[in-house]
Amino acid sequence: MRKALLALVLLATACGSPQLVGEDRPDLPSITGPQLEAQLAESGRPAVVNVWAAWCAPCRSEAPLLASAAAQHGDEVQFIGIDVQDNQADAKDFIERFGLDFDHYFDRDRVVPEYFGGIGTPITFFFDRSGDLVDTHLGVIDDRTLALGIDEITKR
Amino acid sequence: MEFTLLWAALTAVAAAWLGTRVWRASLPDSPTERIVSSAAAGLLVGRIAEMIGQGINPITNLSDLLIIRGGVSVPAATVAAIGTLWWTSNRDLSVVDSFSAPALVGLAGWHAGCLWRSACLGTVSDLPWALAEPGSTITRHPVELYAAVGLVLASLLVSRIPPKPGLRSAAALGLAALVRLVTEPFRLSVTGGPVFWYVVGLSLALLAGTALVWRQREI
Repeated sequence: MRKALLALVLLATACGSPQLVGEDRPDLPSITGPQLEAQLAESGRPAVVNVWAAWCAPCRSEAPLLASAAAQHGDEVQFIGIDVQDNQADAKDFIERFGLDFDHYFDRDRVVPEYFGGIGTPITFFFDRSGDLVDTHLGVIDDRTLALGIDEITKR
Repeated sequence: MEFTLLWAALTAVAAAWLGTRVWRASLPDSPTERIVSSAAAGLLVGRIAEMIGQGINPITNLSDLLIIRGGVSVPAATVAAIGTLWWTSNRDLSVVDSFSAPALVGLAGWHAGCLWRSACLGTVSDLPWALAEPGSTITRHPVELYAAVGLVLASLLVSRIPPKPGLRSAAALGLAALVRLVTEPFRLSVTGGPVFWYVVGLSLALLAGTALVWRQREI
C-alpha cells in the first residue's frame, strides 16, 4: 500500500503542472462582439474564434489541439482566443502552458459569446473570409470537427 | 451537444449487442457485460493516456477523465480493451476469439454513430453519394459510414475463419486496422490521425496470425 501511495505521489510530481510563466506577458486587450465582427470582416481571412477560460476543465482538453491547429493552419486561417470570466494572471499562464501562440482577448463579462450566440465554455466559432459566422460548436471540440470546420471556412 | 457522443456510444453498444445475438451460439455467458466492461476499461485507459500526452496530470485533474470528447488514445484503449477481455475470460484465447465478430460490429456502430454527432464527413468529393454539411454546398465523402460498412464486412469475414485459438482475434485486429488505414485518406484531421498505430496494429496482427497458423501446422 505504501509503495502504491509513493508511486502515486511520484507520478503526480512527474506529471505536475509547469511553473507559472505567463507573468511577463502584457495583459490581454478587451474586445466587444461588434468590434470583433468588424475586425473579422476587414481582415478578409477566415477565422476560428475559440472561447475559453483558465478555470474551464474542458478547455484544458482542447487547448493542445488548438495549438496544433494554429501552428498548422495559421497561414490560411486566423485563430483568435476569447478568454471569458477570468483574471489576467490565470489567462496568461494558461496561454503559456499550452503554447496558444495566437491573438487572445479578455472578455470578463462574456459579451462576445453572447453577441454571436453561444452558451457555456468552451465554444468554437467558425467565420468565413467575409466575416460571416458559418458554424458554432458548443463544448470541447475534437480533431475531426475542428479539421472539418477549418476546411469549410477555407473553401467557401 | 455533448450528449451526441453518448448517443454514438449507445449505438456502438447496441450494435455490439446485436452482434452477440447473431453469433450467440459461440459466445460464453454474459457476453454484453464482458463487451461493455472491456470497452469501459479501454475508454478509461485510453483517456488517461491521452491526458498524459496532452500534458494534463490525470491525478490532479481527475474530473478531466470524464471529458471523453477531449480525446482518447486509440492504441492504449485497444490494448486495454483486449487485455480486459482476455483477463476476464480466464486468459482463454478462444473466448476472446468468440467476441471478435461482435466487437467489429460494435466498432461499426461507433462509426455509424457519427450520424448523431453530425461528424460523418471527410474530404471534398463530387461522387453521387457525397453529402454536404447543413448550410453548405461543399459535398464530402461520408467517410465514417465507409468505415462502418468496412467493419461489418470484416466481421462477416472473421466469423468464417476456422476456430483456432487467437486466429480470429488477430484477424479482427488486423482488419479493423486495415479498414481505418484505408479510410484515413478520406478523413480530415489536424493531428494527422493515429496512422502509425494502424500500421502497427496491422503488422502485429499479420505476425500473430502467421505465427498461429505456422504453429497449428507443426502440431
